[in-house]
Amino acid sequence: MAKSEVRWIVTANFTADGAVAYRRPDGSWSRALGDAEMLAAEAEAAPLASQAAKLEQREVSDPYAIDMALGPDGLSPLTARERIRAFGPTVPIRRADGGRPSPDKLAR
Amino acid sequence: MYQYDEYDTRIITARAQQFRGQVERRLSGEITEDEFKPLRLQNGLYMQLHAYILRIAVPYGLLSSKQIRMVAHIARTYDRGYAHLTTRQNFQYNWPKLEDVPKILDCLASVEMHAVQTSGNCVRNVTADHFAGIARDELEDPRPWAEIIRQWSTFHPEFAALPRKFKIAITGSVQNDRAAVRFHDIGVRLVQNEEGEVGFEVLAGGGLGRTPLIAEVVRSFLPKAELLGYLEAIMRVYNLFGRRDNKYKARIKILVSAVGIEEFRRLVEEEYKASMTPELLLPEEEIERVRRYFAPKSYRTFGDGGEAAHKQADEKWLSFQLSTERGFGNWVKNNTVQHRVPGYVAAVISVKVPHVPPGDLTDVQLDSVAELADRFSFGEAVVTHTQNLILPDVEVAALPELYQELVRLDLAPANYGKLTDVIACPGLDYCALANARSIPIALEIVERFEQVDYLNDLGDVSIKISGCINACGHHHVGNIGILGIDKKGVEFYQLQLGGSPGNDASVGKILGPALPQDEIVSAVAKVLDKYLGLRESAEETFLEAVRRVGLDPFKEAVYGGEKAAE
Repeated sequence: MAKSEVRWIVTANFTADGAVAYRRPDGSWSRALGDAEMLAAEAEAAPLASQAAKLEQREVSDPYAIDMALGPDGLSPLTARERIRAFGPTVPIRRADGGRPSPDKLAR
Repeated sequence: MYQYDEYDTRIITARAQQFRGQVERRLSGEITEDEFKPLRLQNGLYMQLHAYILRIAVPYGLLSSKQIRMVAHIARTYDRGYAHLTTRQNFQYNWPKLEDVPKILDCLASVEMHAVQTSGNCVRNVTADHFAGIARDELEDPRPWAEIIRQWSTFHPEFAALPRKFKIAITGSVQNDRAAVRFHDIGVRLVQNEEGEVGFEVLAGGGLGRTPLIAEVVRSFLPKAELLGYLEAIMRVYNLFGRRDNKYKARIKILVSAVGIEEFRRLVEEEYKASMTPELLLPEEEIERVRRYFAPKSYRTFGDGGEAAHKQADEKWLSFQLSTERGFGNWVKNNTVQHRVPGYVAAVISVKVPHVPPGDLTDVQLDSVAELADRFSFGEAVVTHTQNLILPDVEVAALPELYQELVRLDLAPANYGKLTDVIACPGLDYCALANARSIPIALEIVERFEQVDYLNDLGDVSIKISGCINACGHHHVGNIGILGIDKKGVEFYQLQLGGSPGNDASVGKILGPALPQDEIVSAVAKVLDKYLGLRESAEETFLEAVRRVGLDPFKEAVYGGEKAAE
């Protein structure tokens, strides 16, 4: 199994709806982790995060640099927190039946 | 229930309008996130992992059906079709867009609701016994006093920038504290003195979080009219001497613990003596004005209203518990509670359903619950801090019909107060502060231990889960507490046993080393099996057994001999 390498990216939350934002190489912001600009070291990513905090605060809030694993399938988060940020809650967001009354439902 | 007067309406509408301007300035870039953050927090708006969340105040948990319908409307129109019951008797939306929040606040204001002081270093939404007003063991209804505290603390200028957040809870039941008053910054208990007068016992310095402490009595009997003056004295001492240099040491519990209860009491009494004037006494007519909003409902009188009729009503309730339709019988046994008015019960709607995060209700369910409240309970419902709903005033005779409706809504688990009535914070699935997920653990517990006969055999036992040390899931006071921790980006869970939020308040003790996610629910199963094996009788509760035998047998069960000996 190929050993993954570490890459640094810049992430934040979109001001409009709080969704997770990833900084692209051109400085714009994406909702997809796969679009994130990969940087070799924290020393490269941290200044970009600081710059975003100063200059792009209208679009995004609270930017920061974070390390990720780079494997054959691209970037993957190193922590449970970043994994959940990237891919969303691991639990049902709204029950599939919408909670609509059903005559078929059985008592528990 | 309380109805807004012109002043209430004006300040809530004005606050919604003010926040609209603040949001517009944030979205235009006129103000930065750092500038906006304290403003949004004052309106219950947090930035979480992948969205904003908006926390809505439900003072002492009491809701009208009209308000429930509005909660449903907002969920449907501005969120993702559901709302979440919090562990402080509030509602929360997990996905609002920033531009929609002013519209949501307008909707809320139209039904006398708001999000004010649900966040920030201020006096938070006041909580109370969820059976307030109907409990048989109640000395007096605490809700008028909760409402008086709400009015006093809302926008109180002196206490808008406290060292840290501040939570007040009140109970009118002397025997059974269902409001966890001993784990609040200030706990208020309605009590009777030797002369037979009803007043308050005032406690301070309780709390959970990283330093769980049980509140101590500051004043054992306070005349009713002096309530606000005395609370002000406590708040003023805290505001003056509470630490502001370290947010982890800033709660009043740290101050009380540092100076000791004797010195704290001296400071409070000194301040009270210096500041209290007759003008600060609560006028009797004002107390009565508020009390009238909580006057008894138009209950039906059964039979001749005499003792025989009361007995007959109780017998009907007991016969329902023994129904041959076991689903119904178990639900009546576990989820209904005797009312102070004969012929009525309070019905707990359990929101602890397999495959659904604890406390989540869809817009459709909320609308249906509003309808049930109208049909069965004078148009009112109560949010519990255990993330359930209560219809407080249901006729015993109507229980079969209500039960069938709840079954159709998938809201009829017969598990109130049982193992699967799990309290869980949002955890790492939503919360920016969390170290580990709470909801998946809760779901696994609900699914694994779903069999109602097993739950009934276990008796009353509580599980409370927090995703971090801030303890929003109240894990310290769970009979079984689970705390999520982070070990180098991986979720682990610490097991604690022996906590209780009630009159016999205690903080759970850590059982041993934290366990990985895939082992924690099995560890709970081992603890429960051990309890069933060692209890002296079916009447000895889990908590009583833990207190009797200590942690060692449970350590042995979970970790084996080697770890247990450590």
